[in-house]
Amino acid sequence: MKKRVQSSGSIQALGIFLLSRWHRYRPVMSMWFLTVLSAFLTQAAECGQGDDSEMKRRPQGILTGMPFMAHVSSRSFVDDAGHRIYLAKPPARVVSLAPSITEMLFSLGLDDQIVGVTDFCDYPDAAKSKARVGYSNPSTEALIALRPELVLAPKDFLRPDLQTKLDQLKIPLFVLDAQTLEDILLQIQTLGKMFEKTSAANEVTQRMRQRIVEIRRKVETLPARRVLYVLNSRPLIAVGPGSFIHPMIGLAGGVNIAARAGVAYPKLSMETVLKEDPEVLIFPSETVPRSEQQQWLRWDSLSAVKLRRFHEVSSSLLNRPGPRIIEGLEQLARAIHPETFGSGEGAVHP
Amino acid sequence: MKPPPARVQSDSCAGALSGKACRAYPTGGLVAQGAILTNSRWIATLGILSLAAIVVSLLCLHFGTQPIPYSEILRVFVDAMSRKEIDGGASDITRTILLQVRLPRMLLGFLIGCSLATVGVALQALLRNPLADPYVLGVSSGAALGAAVGVLFGAGTTFLAETALPACGFAGGLLALVIVYRMAAHYEQLPIHSLLLAGVILNAIFSAVIMFITSVLEPNRSYGMMAWLMGTLTAPTYGGLVGLVVYLSIGLFLLFSQMRTLNVLALGEESARTLGIDTEQTKRFIFVLTALLTGAVVSVSGMIGFIGMVVPHAVRLVTGADHRLLLPASALVGGTFLMGADTIARTLISPAEIPVGIITALAGGPFFVYLLIWRKDRLA
Repeated sequence: MKKRVQSSGSIQALGIFLLSRWHRYRPVMSMWFLTVLSAFLTQAAECGQGDDSEMKRRPQGILTGMPFMAHVSSRSFVDDAGHRIYLAKPPARVVSLAPSITEMLFSLGLDDQIVGVTDFCDYPDAAKSKARVGYSNPSTEALIALRPELVLAPKDFLRPDLQTKLDQLKIPLFVLDAQTLEDILLQIQTLGKMFEKTSAANEVTQRMRQRIVEIRRKVETLPARRVLYVLNSRPLIAVGPGSFIHPMIGLAGGVNIAARAGVAYPKLSMETVLKEDPEVLIFPSETVPRSEQQQWLRWDSLSAVKLRRFHEVSSSLLNRPGPRIIEGLEQLARAIHPETFGSGEGAVHP
Repeated sequence: MKPPPARVQSDSCAGALSGKACRAYPTGGLVAQGAILTNSRWIATLGILSLAAIVVSLLCLHFGTQPIPYSEILRVFVDAMSRKEIDGGASDITRTILLQVRLPRMLLGFLIGCSLATVGVALQALLRNPLADPYVLGVSSGAALGAAVGVLFGAGTTFLAETALPACGFAGGLLALVIVYRMAAHYEQLPIHSLLLAGVILNAIFSAVIMFITSVLEPNRSYGMMAWLMGTLTAPTYGGLVGLVVYLSIGLFLLFSQMRTLNVLALGEESARTLGIDTEQTKRFIFVLTALLTGAVVSVSGMIGFIGMVVPHAVRLVTGADHRLLLPASALVGGTFLMGADTIARTLISPAEIPVGIITALAGGPFFVYLLIWRKDRLA
């Protein structure tokens, strides 16, 4: 048994090593057989992981969880990866590993407690003056040097080696993974409890909920429009189920024409687009320039082109599952139903 | 650029066309032995391959997100020829899909496959290395780097958007070419080994810079760039297609004019020199030509791997090593292969697409491994 765990551990390490490199080298590698190899290793690693985490979690629970306390104490929290952490008091030093998390913390008024943010945390302005630790590949050294009492991380870019290191150093890591709007509200509440800012959290979530209800009420009576969200034109990349933007399109009163694609960010074929005939084209304003939007005029059989319904929304708002997501939702609703929400900004006239 | 070297008299390279020449070629046993090229064999082989290309292209037009029946295809083409307006509605969409998406994309795929395979043949003969392909000179990663830098500095936001990225890619490819050339041509001669080495090393450097750029780019933007780099065909406008056709066909024509010279070069430089070829100048000419072709292809479609390496080998197995047949046959097979691969790429998990580079590599990867194993056997 012991031997088996060991060997799966080394396979896992190799797999993780290859995968972590692979993820970044992928665009320039032409030797695709590595894909197959790394896929095989992931599987091997995943098999191994099952054994390992089982082994690890038990002693961990004893060390940090105080299992009998867990159900009693209100100071123990379970994150979106299923790990339970126990915080005796509100952490005085916290590092955020995602812009959305940074925004949540600031919305709760935790300006002083935030000691580290990512390279892409640009809202609010105060975030820009905080120490930076990278983003998809955060520097472990920089992170540890900040002496955090809590690290808040998104699930997407979380590297297992970082997790292991923080475990070793007894720095609690809390993973946030929002799949829906409701998750965001819940996370803000959790953070509020963690930092003993419950009233601030209540205020923030209540305000958000109110605006959601308003939008929902308006959209309910409107016909759902066919929408294509263009993440990238060359090649054409859209958003599909599994991405955060996909359900938002539904909430804003639209139907995502890429709904049948099985991937979160599918490379969509132009044939599908022509067949599904979107009525509204939405471009993230930061990444798809106007000139690229103009290229769409070529497809003049599309309703969106005939009606000149091109709209820009801020992708940094829609991509960040934080408190400002509501503004993104409003922009989206305005783009899909300008006659109800008032066209205002975001309408582009190519 | 200097004019192409004088042609070799076909008499003087008669040996290059016989089985003896084939055995001299370093790929050895991969080559069909002893087949002497005759007019009828030339016509028959190319005829069969053209027929295959036509059949595959018909399949490509048929399959897609939804198959379009052949009767419908015929009707659309007839209507398009006679410029009759078709009634709107569903058939209008079919027409747009067929004429604006599938057809131009298919043609683009054929053209790019042709170029990659032809360049592969030329490089394998020139470098006398069975593993050489258009990517070996570092031109492809140079082009990719150019495009990456373009994205980094927001080339997409200029008024040239559509052409800015390919232009950056092309500039990067040219830069790589100049560097490799300078590195390798430090002395009077252009030694083949330095050329290969220079290309490989440059590849490594450029790849590192690309990785650096993807790691600092905002995730949203780097995602789009990666998707582009993985090799994709997007339906071009007919204007863009015509431009590409003109450019590539000039390049291909010049390369085809070197068929006989390639035959002699494949024998080895010594033999080529005794046969009266200015090897340095010939190498330089072919080298520059392949780099220009590769740069253009990469800048349009990203990195589509393995066609340049695999197709020439596969074709050589059937036709033998005579470049007068190998070159046009590889072009046809390469074009057909990419055309077919792209159809699979856009049909398999429809409505989403797979980068076509994955399909070509999945076909090419096993062949590459086979090559390695086979070579080991030969050496033992």
